[in-house]
Amino acid sequence: MHDVHDVEQAERMGRARSRIFFVLAMVFFAGQSAYFASSPATRDSHARIGAWLILVILMLLLLATGGFLLKGRKVRNLLNDETSRHNRLAAQAMGFWVTIVSALVVYVESIFDPVTFNEAIHIIVTLGVGAALISFAVRERRAHRIG
Amino acid sequence: MADVLLNRLREARDAKGWTQAELAARVGVSRKTVNTVENRVFTPSATLAIKLAEALELNVEQLFWIER
Repeated sequence: MHDVHDVEQAERMGRARSRIFFVLAMVFFAGQSAYFASSPATRDSHARIGAWLILVILMLLLLATGGFLLKGRKVRNLLNDETSRHNRLAAQAMGFWVTIVSALVVYVESIFDPVTFNEAIHIIVTLGVGAALISFAVRERRAHRIG
Repeated sequence: MADVLLNRLREARDAKGWTQAELAARVGVSRKTVNTVENRVFTPSATLAIKLAEALELNVEQLFWIER
């Protein structure tokens, strides 16, 4: 049996998590829009690619674990209980479908307008990971608002 | 048509005088999970359904049933 205090703490952290994940995904998409809006000659700097890579890895970690890895096990178990695990799996499925569809779109697009390997990977990974994170954040927000 | 799992979780919880957070603490889930099960937004696993029934001192069939 858990303490009611743990449940209330998990509730606050869960609400914060859904907001943070949503904002993080939006910032990520905004950053990538700026990336693709810049000229191809200047956009592939090591700093930009490195920042993108770090963000992608961070977002994948959040999607895989639910975040708050430094919190105690009791609160973390409440944060990642049955509903959250269900929402995370549904979000990962959404990420999978967005990845496949965007890969197909890029493939067809490349027939008419050549796309480099790096650009293709960048577009596909950005859309797949971003969509999964937004899907998780929206599902969690909706679940918190019901009642 | 998909079967709908109905429940009387709210009535059973109210009968005990517990808040959602108190029931959640007894079962080891978040308040959000209790809330979404009560509102039939989330269908609980068999494990969670049994835990909820045990906490409320009911049989699973008294707490959950399928609308046909």
